[in-house]
Amino acid sequence: MSENEKKRALTYVEKLKEKALQQKNYGGEVKKEDAGMDARDCPNCGAGRAFRHGLTACAYCGFVFMEIKLTDGIHIKKGNNS
Amino acid sequence: MSENPLLAPIHGISLEDYSAACAKLGSGLSEQDIATALGVELPVWQEVNLLWPERMKQDETFHIVTLFGQYFGQADQHPKFNGLKANVSAEGADNTTKIKTDKAFYDELEVARQVAYDYGVDGAQWVVDTYGISLGDFQIAASNWNAELHREIAADFEGYNKKQAAYRAKYEKLFSEAQGGNVADDIEF
Amino acid sequence: MFGFEKKYDNPELIATINETRDRWFTFLQKLEERMTEMCAAAVPELKSVFNQDTDPYKRAHGHMLMGLLGQLSQMRTKANQVREEKINGLLFSGEAMIPGIITKAGSKYHSLLHSFRMDCIDRHQVFEEKLHAAIEQLQQAAGEQDLETAYQEQLLAFEKIKDSFNCRQCGGDISIPKMFFIATYVSCSFCHTQNTFMPSTEAQMVLHNARSLAEQRTAHLLRNFNETHPKDPGLYRKYLRAMFDEWNKIVPDMANENEKFYERMLKDMEIGHY
Repeated sequence: MSENEKKRALTYVEKLKEKALQQKNYGGEVKKEDAGMDARDCPNCGAGRAFRHGLTACAYCGFVFMEIKLTDGIHIKKGNNS
Repeated sequence: MSENPLLAPIHGISLEDYSAACAKLGSGLSEQDIATALGVELPVWQEVNLLWPERMKQDETFHIVTLFGQYFGQADQHPKFNGLKANVSAEGADNTTKIKTDKAFYDELEVARQVAYDYGVDGAQWVVDTYGISLGDFQIAASNWNAELHREIAADFEGYNKKQAAYRAKYEKLFSEAQGGNVADDIEF
Repeated sequence: MFGFEKKYDNPELIATINETRDRWFTFLQKLEERMTEMCAAAVPELKSVFNQDTDPYKRAHGHMLMGLLGQLSQMRTKANQVREEKINGLLFSGEAMIPGIITKAGSKYHSLLHSFRMDCIDRHQVFEEKLHAAIEQLQQAAGEQDLETAYQEQLLAFEKIKDSFNCRQCGGDISIPKMFFIATYVSCSFCHTQNTFMPSTEAQMVLHNARSLAEQRTAHLLRNFNETHPKDPGLYRKYLRAMFDEWNKIVPDMANENEKFYERMLKDMEIGHY
């Protein structure tokens, strides 16, 4: 095989590698984020959301956080409906 | 079928909601945008997003997957996502409409996207860069053209293959030139 | 009508057959050499890109691999086109040219064409096998992602952070009871407020990679099954059960759902070929 022919395969691999490392992936880079904690107060009356009153509505003023009926999921269960 | 327990909503999110959400997720909306549009908080959405695929895995009739594909294609009509769009250029918006209304345009881009991958290019990103069409919108178009594609293949298999081969040749030329040619271009019989 | 078999001789056809066979062999050999050349250059580069790729989905490596497989598929298409055009073309035109097979001359030429055909097919088969080996070589070049180490790191990371959170309402300490892989409500033990815990990106990847890690851990059992002839369905069941056990150990919260999927796989096995 001549040097020129050898170069063909090498050039392709080199260009491919360069492009693979440079190109933007669809959806962009995966941002590495640390674990975090958040809480949502009732936007209507400012009260915190207590476990025993469920997740879907505010126990104090009745404000609806989520207009859905929770079913038995992984961590969230039927019992978490307000 | 109507009482299929595998079709019951998960945390109030129906398969129609979920399918449309996935389409929109692919169009550049964030998980938080999706959760907000569905009227739920992130922990609820993330459970839903784990459990619907589990239902699909459990369903040996493939009924759920089939419905998912159908609803996915109707995402633009879903009331909860109506008017909710990621930022796109005017040209991107035009092309997004075009791929859903002009089958030849879709056919050509589908081939182009596949050929891009064969040359180490992220095809989905290439479509965004070149036409401003998101993967989600591309998949919505694919789902909507599916039935017509089957009709076309059944009616004129040879014609269909010829057309696809012509598109393929066009994009192979485009992508291989950017790479300095194919590795074996100089080898002839 | 009988005994008047016309003498038939076609040295040109014989020459064309021989020349076409030689050219086909040379052509395929050149493609194979180029294939080997490309793979030799690509294997170390694939490894290096895999190791440099910080994307958790290893997409740079994935795209590079596809770009290489694309070239192999180009070579395959090229060979198929030549076979169709030159080899099958000659068979077709040759057969149209020569006398019927029941005549003596016809029989000779048919047999020539037949061995030409078989030689070309056999050579093509060798090419296809080499191509297949090249595909495998490229696919396996980078080796497996070390999911076990990544997982063990996440277990340690969780131990470190699990007691470092406070209730957003009352500021009380919240200890995260177990490793979560998705956003999860946790309640404060002092004021009972529902807080939302968001696991780190890397912890979320544990869920994403759980099945692959379980498969890596039980790969030896799948190998045992694959090595039996005829295939022993009992060994496959043994593998499947072990794989799901590992999977459930990694993400216990998904065990319920995983078990339903396991039942389905068993059912598929009964209907299917095992």
